[in-house]
Order: sequence, then C-alpha cells, then structure tokens
Amino acid sequence: MDPLLLLLVFLKASALSIGGLSSLPLLRADLVTPGIATDEQVVQAIAIGRISTGPNGLYIVSLGYLIGGIAGAAMALVAATVPPLVVVPAAALARKWLLTTRVAGLVRGVALATAGLLVATGLGIVNATGTPAWWQIALAAIAIVLTYRGTIHPAFVIAIGAIAGLLLGR
Amino acid sequence: MSAREFGELWALSQLSPGIHLVALAGLIGQRVAGWRGAVASVAGMMIPAAAITVGLTAAYGLVAAAPLAKAALAGLAPVTGGMTIATAALLVRATARRGVRHAIVDLAVAAASAAAALLFGVPTIAAIAAGALVGTLALGRERSPSRETPMG
Repeated sequence: MDPLLLLLVFLKASALSIGGLSSLPLLRADLVTPGIATDEQVVQAIAIGRISTGPNGLYIVSLGYLIGGIAGAAMALVAATVPPLVVVPAAALARKWLLTTRVAGLVRGVALATAGLLVATGLGIVNATGTPAWWQIALAAIAIVLTYRGTIHPAFVIAIGAIAGLLLGR
Repeated sequence: MSAREFGELWALSQLSPGIHLVALAGLIGQRVAGWRGAVASVAGMMIPAAAITVGLTAAYGLVAAAPLAKAALAGLAPVTGGMTIATAALLVRATARRGVRHAIVDLAVAAASAAAALLFGVPTIAAIAAGALVGTLALGRERSPSRETPMG
C-alpha cells in the first residue's frame, strides 16, 4: 500500500478516536475489510503493543510495520503523534471553550459510541478464525476480567494466551 | 508544577483525539519549556517506545511462520479480542462515574452503537458521528466538564 495513503488511513483513525485502543474499529474497517491487512496482523499488533513500552495506542506502529515495513511504521508513528497535539495550541488559545459542557458531551458521546464499536470489534477478532473453541471462549472471558480489573500487567495476560495456544491450539 | 496545574493539564489531555498520553506529554512540555519543551517531551516518549515496538514486531516476524507461532496465535486472538472488549467496559466505567442514572444512559448509548455495528452493519464512522452528535446535544448538560472524562 502507498505509504501516503496508509498515513491518511492512520491519521483518520487517530483523529476520530478518543483514547489509545479506540482507533481500532476505524482501522479494522479501513484495513481489514478491504483486505489490506488481516485479522491475524491486527492480533499480532495488539499483542505486541501490550508487551512493548509506551502507550497502548502504539499498537498502530506495529500494525504499520506489518503492512508497510519501516515506512509504514513511520507513517503510523506520525499519525499517532500529531492528532493528540492539537490540544496544545487549543488549550493556549481557547481553554475556556475546551472546558464547556458541549465539548464534554461531545467527548462522552464519541467515547460511548467507540465503546460499543470496540465490543463489536473484539467479538470480530475472537471470531476471526472461525467459530471459537471452548478454550478460546474461556481465554477471551479471562482476558476481559483481567484487563478490566487491571491488577496484573497486560504482558502476563498476553503470555497466558500464547501458552494456552501452544498447548491447545494444534 | 503544582498538583492543581497537573490536574488541569490532565483534564485537558482527556479531551484530545487519539492517545491522551501524547497530549499530556505535549501540554506538560509546553507549560514547562514552551514549544521546544512540547517537542522534546513528546519525542522522548514516542520515539524510543516506537523503536522498541518495531523491534519486537520484526523479531516476531522472524518466527511468525513457524507452526508453534501459529499455535500461539490461536490463543492470542481470543485474548486480544477480550482485551478490546474490556477496553470498551473501561470507557463506559470512566464516563459513568456519576451514579446510576449516568451509568444507564451511558450503557444505552454504547449498546446502541454496538447493535448498530453488529446487527445493522452501520459504518464505523457513521456510528462515531452519531455518538458525537448525541453527545454534543444531550450528554454534556448532566455534569460539569473535565476530570471525569475517559482515560486511555
């Protein structure tokens, strides 16, 4: 894929989402649905993003690398970095406006719509390789509980998935 | 920087599109040392993390075709899917911290969005636009802004 086009796709997902993983539904719609990326690559990118340092939203750098090599990763890094920074000049120029109830409502509405989309996306990923087996459904449930509670590091949750896959996935 | 100042920057960062931590780093850097501070703090956070992420991805690429890696992927798919669903729950929890009525409204909006995507094939971007519209018109008045906005 043309790196500039990839940059636009990543920029759109980053600019229209609120929070790190929230770009995922848009990216899956723009990349997996047309066949530019696969759900396997999305799974790898999320897993690596959780293991690596830095914000969770950096999974798109891993996805960019899987799609377009170093150039793809660079495009994803630019797309992850620039949109959040609009808040810096906005805070300097229009701080009062940013703290109005309308902006709060906008952010809340987008966050909630994204939450619904993330449920749909998560189910799509669980079902990506056909109907999940009993142990895969159990793994998904365990991952939901552990991630929601947030008491153990996500890398351990990823490790649980990889080990279960090694034992049961063949 | 005082705790109050940090709290205000944190609240502003939660209004940003994309990764909030990037916005927070930019806001703190700008407050401390102007635009150069913003560039330095964002670059300092993102470039090493991105390099490590690329390194891990490339390393995984070396073994990705092996049968063992394929088997591991069969366990990673449900785990990452589950993590994605949990992120949704965390977003709702963050916005619904103000009591039962808020929680019901927030769950209803999120459920409508999930149903639109799952049952009716509504395009992702249309669901986000609908959330933005509903939020701007109806979800801002119930509470004071800042502080309670979602994390991520």
